[in-house]
Amino acid sequence: MTGKPPYFINGIGIISPQKTFDNQQFLTEISAYEHNVLNCVTPDFKSYINPLQLRRLNRMLRVGLSAAIICLRDARVNTPEGIITATGYGFLEETEKFLTEVFERQEKQLTPTYFMQGTYNALAGLVALSIKCTGYNNTYVSKGFAFENGMRDAMLQVAGDLKASYLVGAFDEAASVQYIINSREHHYKTELINSLSLFESHSTGSIQGEGAAFFSISGTPSDTTWCVLNDLHTVYRPEDAETLTNELAAFLGTNKTTIGEIDAWISGIAGDTSRDVLLTNLENSLLSKTPQIRFKHLCGEYCTAASFALWLGASVLKHQHIPEIVKGSTLRFPQQLKTILVVNHYMNRNYSFYLLKKL
Amino acid sequence: MSQRVFITGYGIITSIGKNAEENFQSLVHRRSGFGELNMLETIHQKNLPSCEIKLHDQELRAATKVKDGVGFTRTTLLGLHALHEALESAQLSPSEIKQAGLISATTTGGIREFEKYFYNLLDLQQDGDFVQFADTANPGEHCEHLADQLGIKKYIATISTACSSSANAIMHGAQLIQGGHLDCAICGGTEALSKFTLNGFNALMIIDPEHCRPFDSSRNGLNLGEGAAYVVLESEASIVRKGKQPLAELKGYGNANDAFHQTASSPEGFGAMNAMKAALKTGGIATAEVDYINAHGTATENNDLSEGAGIQKLFSDHVPYFSSTKPYTGHTLAAAGSIEAVFGLMALQYQKVWPNLNFKQQMPELNIRPITEIIHQAGLKNVLSNSFGFGGNTSSLLFGSI
Repeated sequence: MTGKPPYFINGIGIISPQKTFDNQQFLTEISAYEHNVLNCVTPDFKSYINPLQLRRLNRMLRVGLSAAIICLRDARVNTPEGIITATGYGFLEETEKFLTEVFERQEKQLTPTYFMQGTYNALAGLVALSIKCTGYNNTYVSKGFAFENGMRDAMLQVAGDLKASYLVGAFDEAASVQYIINSREHHYKTELINSLSLFESHSTGSIQGEGAAFFSISGTPSDTTWCVLNDLHTVYRPEDAETLTNELAAFLGTNKTTIGEIDAWISGIAGDTSRDVLLTNLENSLLSKTPQIRFKHLCGEYCTAASFALWLGASVLKHQHIPEIVKGSTLRFPQQLKTILVVNHYMNRNYSFYLLKKL
Repeated sequence: MSQRVFITGYGIITSIGKNAEENFQSLVHRRSGFGELNMLETIHQKNLPSCEIKLHDQELRAATKVKDGVGFTRTTLLGLHALHEALESAQLSPSEIKQAGLISATTTGGIREFEKYFYNLLDLQQDGDFVQFADTANPGEHCEHLADQLGIKKYIATISTACSSSANAIMHGAQLIQGGHLDCAICGGTEALSKFTLNGFNALMIIDPEHCRPFDSSRNGLNLGEGAAYVVLESEASIVRKGKQPLAELKGYGNANDAFHQTASSPEGFGAMNAMKAALKTGGIATAEVDYINAHGTATENNDLSEGAGIQKLFSDHVPYFSSTKPYTGHTLAAAGSIEAVFGLMALQYQKVWPNLNFKQQMPELNIRPITEIIHQAGLKNVLSNSFGFGGNTSSLLFGSI
């Protein structure tokens, strides 16, 4: 079963710990982080959000709405047929603020602002309201699969109407509450590292990242098409390396793509020695001859980090260029870049594959 | 050609019953779950009565046989309880379960446990039993727990679109089947009462301390509730292959956005109307063929006006029977869509229209009124189930008899 019609990425808007909000540039300025937490390099929000509205929005709503508007402008779409968002932890900062109020005021005289802005679908609702989009609207909150579910949903909608455009976005914030609670499960390194040295560290855990990335998906190409998204696939808790390898081989098989045709693969390794094992295995087995690209040293680890990888893959195909900073192997990258495979994992639990092709 | 999607089983737990049979009997006998809170620790136990399931977590753990399980929140336990019944009623084999998808909805996941151990969890010096609930502020956590417990591997997703969440879970499952990605999708939602939601809705000033009165001119807000329900969806090919007798068909679905206000619906009910219209369109059904609408009917000033206006506009002179079952179960938020989908399926199976409790006074803005007494031998063929939420989310599901 393939993903059926080809899906075209006709626009992207991404705000990340790197200066990615400007689609004219492709990783020309790199930011390094020293505290194991990466925060977004943000644009001037006033370029995307009217001042009255801006004042009422929390940071992630600003970041998310701006990324959505950048994407729509890039795709030259005024009103998409639908809006789908995806997030792992949503607006955890707001949840924490509301809970703190509940406790401090002993459940009395509370204001609803933090409660409202902490709702997972707050961004999807805000984007719909801002651009008056009365069509399809959905929000996935499936931890390390949220973005994959959201993209699958968009593909299902597009398959039913090839002319339609759907806006699919992922967002996650590097909330301090999340840092603390996830530390209990050793998600982050205990020693401080320079983010750009993530892959030289040999310890358990990664670094905390964040970002918002929106994609305009359609069944019809346009003047603004970045690349083709052939298909995607998820694997939940693969039993062993062999299971994952077999799933990947089957995924490529259904999409009639051979390993030899893949010009580069984007690996979601997180610099986490205990959780990167299966991807390291792929690197040494099925994909041992395929040049590798890495990205989590630039955006950090978060539930929807695959959205950063998708932007990176689309950028490589569009610009026909691979910035040095993301090259993850000594293998020679081909001159012509036609096919990119993304293999991501979140916490060695949620695995996903994306197959991208040049238009 | 897209596949037809059938319902082959369901499971449910609410304040009016811990399984389908008990819920059915309560609906028939007008038994509501509204009352003082005893399970949830809050200062509002007496002044904000709700529709609480009178089972302790330990009892739920025993009933779902996860006595030694770690990290099972009340949300997860309620979900598991309903899922066991759903899987049994659809008679799925272990290999079918492994190949199925699980699409579950929640508004706040395990926030009930997260808030309970909030200060302990945030102090890394502290260690103890509570550590099992470290990740319960994550909404997707419950779904992974459920999938792991049941052995579901193929596809898992969690949806959170406020009060329309589980209707969207059913819709996503249906589209995965129609797209050929799954043969079987288990879809629904689960929601436990928490301080977080109770105080959030109270801060929004939309909780009625009295028993709620949907579509009544004196309505004054909603009552919160807790519960879970899941439906088992199977493809036409799978039904035929197994020679299975489905309970009903999921004929259509609609999802739209009101794009009016962050937490309010348009007074004209555009979003409500568009969702219902889309459900009828995908189902290939005319308005005159709809026999019953299980309305969202939260009994807030705003929802009932908006939804009522939407129904009136769409059906004009042929408004079908409609009622809200919220006075029975309270507003179970993310679980409301699937709980009411089950009530809609029961309506079709047993040919009954559920009464809208507590309705006395016609709303002056509308010329339609809900059904207030149960109707037997109702002659239902097509039933709509509405679910709307914050963020402008509106969804409607269309179920048809076999």
